Amino acid sequence: MLEVRDLEAGYGPIRALDGVSIEIGEGETVAIIGANGAGKTTLLMAISGVVPTRRGSVTFRGQPLTGLPTHAIAKLGVGHAPEGRRIFPRLSVRENLQLGGFTQTNRAAVARDIDEACAIFPVLGERMSQMGGTLSGGEQQMLALARALVGRPKLLLLDEPSLGLAPLIVQKIFEVIGSLSKRGIAVVLVEQNARAALKLADRGYVLETGRITLSGSGKELSGDRRVREAYLGEG
Amino acid sequence: MTLAVLAVAPLCLPALGGALGGQVTTLFIYCILALGLNVMVGYTGLVHLGIASFFGIGAYLLAILTVPMYPFQIGFLPATAVAVLATAGIGLALGAPTLRLRGDYLAIVTLGFGEVAKVTLRNLEQITGGMKGLNPVPPPGAGVTIGGLDLGKEFAIDPRWFYYLALASLAGVVLLMRRLEGSRLGRALVAVREDELAAQAMGISATKVKLSAFAMSSAVAGLAGCLYAASLSTTADPNAYDFNRSIMVLCAVILGGLGSIPGTLLGVAILVGFDTVLAPWADSWIQQWNINPTGSSLLSFSGWRLAIFGLALVLVMRYRPAGLIPSRRMAAELHDAPEGH
Repeated sequence: MLEVRDLEAGYGPIRALDGVSIEIGEGETVAIIGANGAGKTTLLMAISGVVPTRRGSVTFRGQPLTGLPTHAIAKLGVGHAPEGRRIFPRLSVRENLQLGGFTQTNRAAVARDIDEACAIFPVLGERMSQMGGTLSGGEQQMLALARALVGRPKLLLLDEPSLGLAPLIVQKIFEVIGSLSKRGIAVVLVEQNARAALKLADRGYVLETGRITLSGSGKELSGDRRVREAYLGEG
Repeated sequence: MTLAVLAVAPLCLPALGGALGGQVTTLFIYCILALGLNVMVGYTGLVHLGIASFFGIGAYLLAILTVPMYPFQIGFLPATAVAVLATAGIGLALGAPTLRLRGDYLAIVTLGFGEVAKVTLRNLEQITGGMKGLNPVPPPGAGVTIGGLDLGKEFAIDPRWFYYLALASLAGVVLLMRRLEGSRLGRALVAVREDELAAQAMGISATKVKLSAFAMSSAVAGLAGCLYAASLSTTADPNAYDFNRSIMVLCAVILGGLGSIPGTLLGVAILVGFDTVLAPWADSWIQQWNINPTGSSLLSFSGWRLAIFGLALVLVMRYRPAGLIPSRRMAAELHDAPEGH
């Protein structure tokens, strides 16, 4: 459903992506792993139109995304949960979730989706009228994920959802991400926690200084000697 | 609570008397102006230092559409509607090219626009009457008779008519603002203020949202301008719409509480009340007791007016940085969320 061809993007003189090509099928979960500064976040931002692309193309369900503004891409069904959670701190949990459904015009449907999100993360239901900024880090990450889901994306870009969270929370978050494919949502998961990401993903790509150096199924990659040495801390 | 205060206000009117009645009317008009500014500065977080120019544009447009000097001479209501829409349009025209600007830069552009508007109003003498302004602006309802009551005449002789008109307009604007706060657009305004990138990832067009804020602010300020010109029956001279006025309204919003409707109303009440009620009263008191026989400005209250005003602002910002009646959002004690819980 998403096809990225020969994508190049960067900041000023720095070329963060140097001809990246990846493909994501319907309902597929794909992990992107790589070291700090490899270009993982830039790849997601280039797909969702936050960072302009210099060369190459991004096509979503046959429609070119290159050059479209971020909000228009979001409207097409590409959800982006950016790095660092980025919830709205001075809006209540309910308002944060309502904003997730901003593109939907049917209010009843948004209310239903919010209820559903609260069923997945009961703690959010308990804190509906609390300001987003007063939540703990783990709760904020749950809110960020729930907010993205209320938008009913067909493809969800997740940037470091486990960053800085306690192991139990990480487990919960990964459980939810793993269940998304059953709901027909395709996921691009960018993670430092390569082991967990590859275990969860159907397929994976290894990104190194702006280029894809390896790709394969989650199992193949976790078994690969180079991946084990560089990203799984074995050797 | 805001509405309760507003509803009780008419009951106090007979006790207020004619002169004070007129000042309270002006106070209501400034409240409307401040609520308009609050849309941009409070909800959307865009600094605007030229709101008085939109106040003035509203006043002049109403005047052009109603004074005998021009051929239009349409009624107050249609003239207000046209003036409000046109002011919103001018707001959009200022907003569109400046959307990429944030913070200090936008502040400078709006400041510049305010000065340009003032000087233009002064120098376009053939159209705006220069320093004389445009007058006489006929009272609302001129020529309209309902049940033997000549509305225009009533407005001209009895200040209470204007009091109620201003109060009703203010109540309407307050209701509108409350609806806005709970609406999809209202949430989008705050979302863009909080985190523009995240807002865009939700499918919100930051461009559209900011332009809406510009248009709404300008339209409400224009409405206040129409009421102002009609209540004075003149546009007054262009200096009535200068930088000082913009800053005073901005101070009122910040003093009362950014993004807070009751706070904004209280802020205006304190600042305008201080200027138009307390300062003259204190001056006459000083004169009465003959404390200042030489007439030295060091001993008159007006001489110290701005100093006291400034000190009060500093103290409020030191001890209540979110304003006197902070909005629910600003009141939330936000700390950097601890990691890993």
